[in-house]
Amino acid sequence: MAATQTNPLRVGLRQERVIPPQCLVIFGASGDLTHRKLIPALFELFRQRRLPSEFAVLGCARRPWSDEEFRSRMAEALSAEVEQHQSAWQQFANCLFYEPVDLQQPDDVVRLGTRLEAIDRLKATRGNRTFYLSVSPAFYGSGCRSLAAAGLLKDSARSRVVIEKPFGTDYASAEQLNRVVQSCAQENQIFRIDHYLGKETVQNILVLRFANAIFEPIWNRNYIANVQITAAETVGVEERAGYYETSGALRDMVQNHLTQMLALTTMEAPGRFDPEAIRNEKAKVLQAARLANEDEPWTCCVRGQYGRGGSPAMPLAGYREEPGVNPDSTTETYVAMKLFIDNWRWQGVPFYLRTGKRLPKRLSEVVLTFREAPVHLFDAAGGSPTANQLILRIQPDEGAGFVFEVKAPGSGMRSRPVDMHFSYDESFGEPSDEGYVRLLADAMLGDPTLFTRSDEVEAAWRLYTPLLQLIEDAPRQLPIHAYEAGTWGPGAADNLLADDGLLWRRP
Amino acid sequence: MAPQLTLQAPLELPPSEVPGYLNQLWSEGLHHSSGAATFTLLVWEPSWLQQQLIRTGRLDGPLSGLLNEELLEAARRASADLGLATSTAPMAPELAWSLGQQPGSHSADDLRGQFVDRAISAHRPRRLITLAPTLAPDRPLETLVAAYCPLPEERGASEDACGDVVVLRGGMGAIQQGLGMLQHLITADLPCWVWWNGSMDESPDLMEALAPPPRRLVVDSSIGQPRRCLDLLVDRIETGQSVNDLNWLRLRSWRESLAMVFDPPSRQSALDRVVQLDIDVEGDHPVKGLLLAAWIADRLGWHLQSSYWMPAQPGGSNANGRGIGAEFQRDDGESVQFRLMPVPVGISKTHPGALVGLRLICAPPGQAPLCVILCSESGGCMRLEAGGMASMELAEEVVPLPNESEEMEMARLLGGGHDSTNPLLAAAAPLAAKLLPN
Repeated sequence: MAATQTNPLRVGLRQERVIPPQCLVIFGASGDLTHRKLIPALFELFRQRRLPSEFAVLGCARRPWSDEEFRSRMAEALSAEVEQHQSAWQQFANCLFYEPVDLQQPDDVVRLGTRLEAIDRLKATRGNRTFYLSVSPAFYGSGCRSLAAAGLLKDSARSRVVIEKPFGTDYASAEQLNRVVQSCAQENQIFRIDHYLGKETVQNILVLRFANAIFEPIWNRNYIANVQITAAETVGVEERAGYYETSGALRDMVQNHLTQMLALTTMEAPGRFDPEAIRNEKAKVLQAARLANEDEPWTCCVRGQYGRGGSPAMPLAGYREEPGVNPDSTTETYVAMKLFIDNWRWQGVPFYLRTGKRLPKRLSEVVLTFREAPVHLFDAAGGSPTANQLILRIQPDEGAGFVFEVKAPGSGMRSRPVDMHFSYDESFGEPSDEGYVRLLADAMLGDPTLFTRSDEVEAAWRLYTPLLQLIEDAPRQLPIHAYEAGTWGPGAADNLLADDGLLWRRP
Repeated sequence: MAPQLTLQAPLELPPSEVPGYLNQLWSEGLHHSSGAATFTLLVWEPSWLQQQLIRTGRLDGPLSGLLNEELLEAARRASADLGLATSTAPMAPELAWSLGQQPGSHSADDLRGQFVDRAISAHRPRRLITLAPTLAPDRPLETLVAAYCPLPEERGASEDACGDVVVLRGGMGAIQQGLGMLQHLITADLPCWVWWNGSMDESPDLMEALAPPPRRLVVDSSIGQPRRCLDLLVDRIETGQSVNDLNWLRLRSWRESLAMVFDPPSRQSALDRVVQLDIDVEGDHPVKGLLLAAWIADRLGWHLQSSYWMPAQPGGSNANGRGIGAEFQRDDGESVQFRLMPVPVGISKTHPGALVGLRLICAPPGQAPLCVILCSESGGCMRLEAGGMASMELAEEVVPLPNESEEMEMARLLGGGHDSTNPLLAAAAPLAAKLLPN
């Protein structure tokens, strides 16, 4: 991979929209996400001159911190960036405020309203507010109710709510949560975040498909044989055991990130580049998606859980040995499944999704495998010709590749596959922004394109309902297969494709 | 994007009644709607060229203040009729001035300020004020007022957020007279953009009165005397005011194309070894070319050593046809030669000093020299392609011509909402001013 560096002629060229005067209110400001993702993203926006001078961040949590304490804790958490950009940090830190707030306490929320009015006067933020719920998912509904009861969501043009994932734990809970938040605010005020959509490469799926005339004519069942979507992690459960034990890979990764990649890969072209037009198409394709066998979902899904692995020098603990994990846990750390999309474009094309922890490589990719040439005129070096593959590399080594057959050098007419390769690093030379930078900016700009709408979220949960019900009602029918940490998952997942005469791509 | 008329025919009121009428309108007529909490846009809209073309019978009305193909065609025909150089751009002030010497007394409806381009109305200005001076210097002040709310299909997801339109029309004396009232019409708690949509040479006192800091000033440095344009830009930037230059914005595709050539990390080291920069421009207005050169020099850390006029080129596009030469020093002490040359063109672009081509030669040690040539989509750049490049690695790109109206550029600025000068322009403008020899 090429080292990333900055092209001096590239600096400052992007014509970014500037966020209107704004107060961003972060609930859960003492939590991990705030100092690991949100404040760094906001500081990046500040350094890119994309925040207006009339800007404030109000951190809210139950801890009795002062403004100064909040600022110093954030500075500590971002020490490397602060040291590198001291003067910018000084200016940025002046925009940081803190108010101890328990969203369940009505008095606290009334006090919050008073503090927001004071900040409006001090920073001229003109009543434009974005409320970011970085709190336990259990409080999303009640948090929205508290804000609405205090009249803080009344002005639909000036107030917005950003809700972190997971949005519900199944179809029924997502539907119920949608009802609650939509009773507090209009849909255009609600921004359901999925940080995968903030990635350049995920957005690039749209550009690649709809800005190039060569792909769209062959992007359908007539030319594509199957699609594989993979999100692999090398890490284990780390410090997230408490959360992960209640979610598992299906809820943590598939329902949101993988499903978003599926939607962007398979949606129809929107009539225009407009948030609602794009979200309509995403919702439509998800509504047409289904498990390959909804009556017998155990035949099209494999769950796995990593066991011990690694080497004698670097042993890796099994999932059930991880701190905070139930030693008898049946939570899946790996899931693979087969889907179909019942529409004119995709009828009959299998979509294989897989995700897992403690796999050999960290990567996310979408691989479209094309149908083979109808007649094989040439001998293939590998025995039979390799089907063309278009590989969209989401992370790392962001880019795209295309595998196609060429004539092998020498006498005779033998073919062999080669790679054509595009890399963001090699072409652009500079790292792209963190997903949160883009998503926070878009939320404050009121641009919902990269956020999931209520019907999308519900369609995504509905898609996996047969699996979730099976896990709930008859877990033995969808057993957990153990796999060794550091391998590509359980053998049963290979069988899922072997039944169709296919193999998982080994990236 | 087609411009649209205000939905309501503006109401003509005596100037003294305008502030009171607007207050009443917002407290009674529009009390159910929220006023857009956006910005005030104040436009100096003399449209001298359009007024003169109409007066001399070369263009039909109405007088809209918008640049359209019909107007540009009429301007090019007039330029030829009046014997001006073929490189004279329609927006060059000398064309309007020459037309002013011609007889004529045709007239047309004056609808300046009443056309709101959709690109601008999409940003929902809280108040759009247009100053529309007339050719007749003694014409009394007329004031027109209209309120507007977005149509349901334009509202999108947000609520009604209405705005109003005010037009001040009259001779220069009358406009000066209206300045007092103007200050009452500009809401202090919203940002105010002042778009000086005319020559930077004219009415300096008026510009001073209309655009004091912290109002955000928008000018076009392609219209006016180059020295005056650059000095004014630099003065305003130095005061800390937010200054935006449409001429600078029109360089976007050139800057993007050049940056794109050096995006691959394998090419970036060549940027440390530039030895020569050549820029060709249309006509005798060098500001755009100088701004581009200054941006490159600033980004690459070059230090200006000297600048000078070059002798006129045979076949030059204008009376003097002089180019500008300069020497920079790179950080490693090596020198970079710069030349900006005016070249003749058959059909000029809309604004004076449009770029025709750019050539950048890099000489990295131990490698073949790299020659980057950027050509204008419409012009080609045979002059820059000529001679001595057989042994060089050649990277040649065609720069697309953005086909965007002034209003689209303006809308982009309004959408950006920056309250300070773009740092790249703030760095380039003083250097461009130094590059222009006295």
